[in-house]
Amino acid sequence: MSFNIFICGVGGQGLVLLTSVMGNACVKSGKRAITGEMYGLSQRSGTVFVHMRIGKDAFSPLIPYGGADIIVALEAIEALRYVEYLKKGGIVLMNSRIMRPPVETSKIILEKGSKYITLEEIVSRLRGWTPNIAVVDAQGLARKAGNVNTENTVFLGCLSALESFPVEESHIRESISETVPKKTIEQNLKAFELGKKGSYDSLCKLVACRKG
Amino acid sequence: MALKDVIANERRDAFMLCNEAIARGAFESNVKVVAFYPGAPTSEVLDTFSDALGALDYQMKIAPNSYIPMLEPSSPQEAKEMVKRAFEISERHGVPVIMRTVTRVNHQSGIVKLEDINMKEFKRVKWKDLKEEFTTLGEVARQKKLRMLERAGRLAEEFEGSEFNIVKDATSDVGVITSSVSYLYVLEALKILNLESKVKVLKLGTTYPMPRDLVGNFLKGLRKAIVVEELSPYLEREVCAIAKDANPSVAIFGKYSKTFSEAWEYNPSIVVKGIASALGLKYPDYDAVVEEARRLKGMIPERNPTFCAGCPHRATFVALNQALKAQAVKGKDHFFTNDIGCYSMWIFPPISHSDSSLCMGASVGVANGLSHAIEERPVAVVGDSTFYHATIPAIIDAVHNGNKFTLIILDNSVTAMTGQQSNPSTEFTAGWRQGKKVSIEGICRGIGVGFVEIVDSYDIKNNVEVFRRALEFDGLSVVISRRECALYGDRNKRRRGEPIIPFYVDKNICKRPYMCLRTFYCPAYEIDGDRQPRISPDICDGCSVCSKLCPFSAIKRPGAR
Repeated sequence: MSFNIFICGVGGQGLVLLTSVMGNACVKSGKRAITGEMYGLSQRSGTVFVHMRIGKDAFSPLIPYGGADIIVALEAIEALRYVEYLKKGGIVLMNSRIMRPPVETSKIILEKGSKYITLEEIVSRLRGWTPNIAVVDAQGLARKAGNVNTENTVFLGCLSALESFPVEESHIRESISETVPKKTIEQNLKAFELGKKGSYDSLCKLVACRKG
Repeated sequence: MALKDVIANERRDAFMLCNEAIARGAFESNVKVVAFYPGAPTSEVLDTFSDALGALDYQMKIAPNSYIPMLEPSSPQEAKEMVKRAFEISERHGVPVIMRTVTRVNHQSGIVKLEDINMKEFKRVKWKDLKEEFTTLGEVARQKKLRMLERAGRLAEEFEGSEFNIVKDATSDVGVITSSVSYLYVLEALKILNLESKVKVLKLGTTYPMPRDLVGNFLKGLRKAIVVEELSPYLEREVCAIAKDANPSVAIFGKYSKTFSEAWEYNPSIVVKGIASALGLKYPDYDAVVEEARRLKGMIPERNPTFCAGCPHRATFVALNQALKAQAVKGKDHFFTNDIGCYSMWIFPPISHSDSSLCMGASVGVANGLSHAIEERPVAVVGDSTFYHATIPAIIDAVHNGNKFTLIILDNSVTAMTGQQSNPSTEFTAGWRQGKKVSIEGICRGIGVGFVEIVDSYDIKNNVEVFRRALEFDGLSVVISRRECALYGDRNKRRRGEPIIPFYVDKNICKRPYMCLRTFYCPAYEIDGDRQPRISPDICDGCSVCSKLCPFSAIKRPGAR
């Protein structure tokens, strides 16, 4: 059986790097991996996604609707945007961070009574699809790791705690060291560790995790 | 990017993007010259080549489009193998080979087996030693056509046994014929529908010339044939033609039967639905899943791509819009013709301003034509890269014919949209070797444009005035708005060790007229709980432009008085 991860976020958050780290780790673990990535206007500030599939019987680079085991959302609004890809009862692993698109902000100043969508609203809507929602303060953890740009690696740490995640932790660590810019290896490994540790208080209360 | 995997001279597995696998295959084939359109959606191939080799010769070519063999890969591994085979075929038959990759092939990553790289040094040859014929007039062309037809015949025969054409046999009178990434969707769909090894599959990797015997033999004995391919029904047309002799009674399901649409990129759900409906089988109700998700989501804000924080284009457009508004008050309206580049994003909300945005270089051509046909003054916009490759003949026409419009050239030093590739406005060439900048204003003046002014994109106050004069000018007026791409500039700053200092809104001074937000739409801005504008220090680029828009000078740089 394949393990299907739908990764989404905002252009510039490092989804492609996150995918490369996982892909290289799959090579090390002898696992088959295939991805379908967003293309075109996926620059900074736009919505971006990657379909990542690990396992022998994952043929298509795109995950069928309702086929993802987990959504990894590097930004909170984006978790909701792609919920149709998640299995009913699947896992949502999402950032608590919301990045406000200029469209949303301009609506607030132009239309009286219009409000930002809140994290609570997003989570409560997602509950209509699955009870398994873990919210991570990835930016906070990345800061703690010494580099605010390591949010993506925090999520790798969270994923690694999962029992169903088919890649070995040692391979992920090796892959991080080989893939991220040299100067940031230590910070990324720290971010990974913080993400993994943090999972035991949130994610692991919802779904089965490896022994910490 | 897995550059180290692209150039690693070792045999092992590597996880790479299909575009990178294509480059790798070329290296393994000892490629000597590569030619690309810079900034195509598949520009990673060019980036990969230029990063890896720096010293390759770089030239543009346009692929001829007839009697040329075509290979279509479905995955990165296959793409690499096909590139190698393509070079081999090319050498043996003296013909270019087209590798056709659809988007979902290019933007697919997977595990690729690396083999040896045997790059040999590039040596110039003497033209007269080549003894090749590169003319096409009259009788020469007629003779060439004969040779092309013979070659296509030889290739067709060869492709009958190509390793890229795969038959998955089964005891069944149903067969699926497919190519490219659709093959992967077919495998996925057969798994979902529990049809694995219950229907036959023919996957074609060589789609021109078509291996007609292979397809004909596959069709024999079939009751139903389902053709699964993206875009135009190319395979389907061939299959229909071959079936006429091979098996006229076979029912063919594809785009002509409306089993599939010619619109949209395929995905597993579309292919599951198509195959199931052709066979009268039940399938998962994907529409219901999508509909349920739609209801659950309710209204969520769109997240269109927009100009980066610090982007010079945003500042240029703020000034241009002010000037256009002032003209409109005087009853002088305009027609705004956009072009293709980062500045295309001006068409997205909340900005949504552009009357046309068609293809590269169209802005000047459209302005030329409309300057004779409409009452409003055309205002055209183009970036530096597109200016060089697609607008110069149109500017010559404008000057020659005395056309009256305003052209804004947004010179940000690089081909920004596709990832900061170099162009004649950059001091480097492909592979970041030293090159010579070609003067945009020099070209315009040389052509004879009567109004050429250069402004700093960030200097909004001054630029409104320059744009006003340009709009009033009785002829073609060109304004070059110059400031390097913010991302490119940041990269240079980091290299020089210069800090990027974000701005902040002083809440004690801000009276919330929202001038910073009303026209500027910078992604670094949000509204806080007090409905006060707030600048996210992680996103702000420190460009200072919003601070100049604030009537109360409430937007400050830390430490500035």
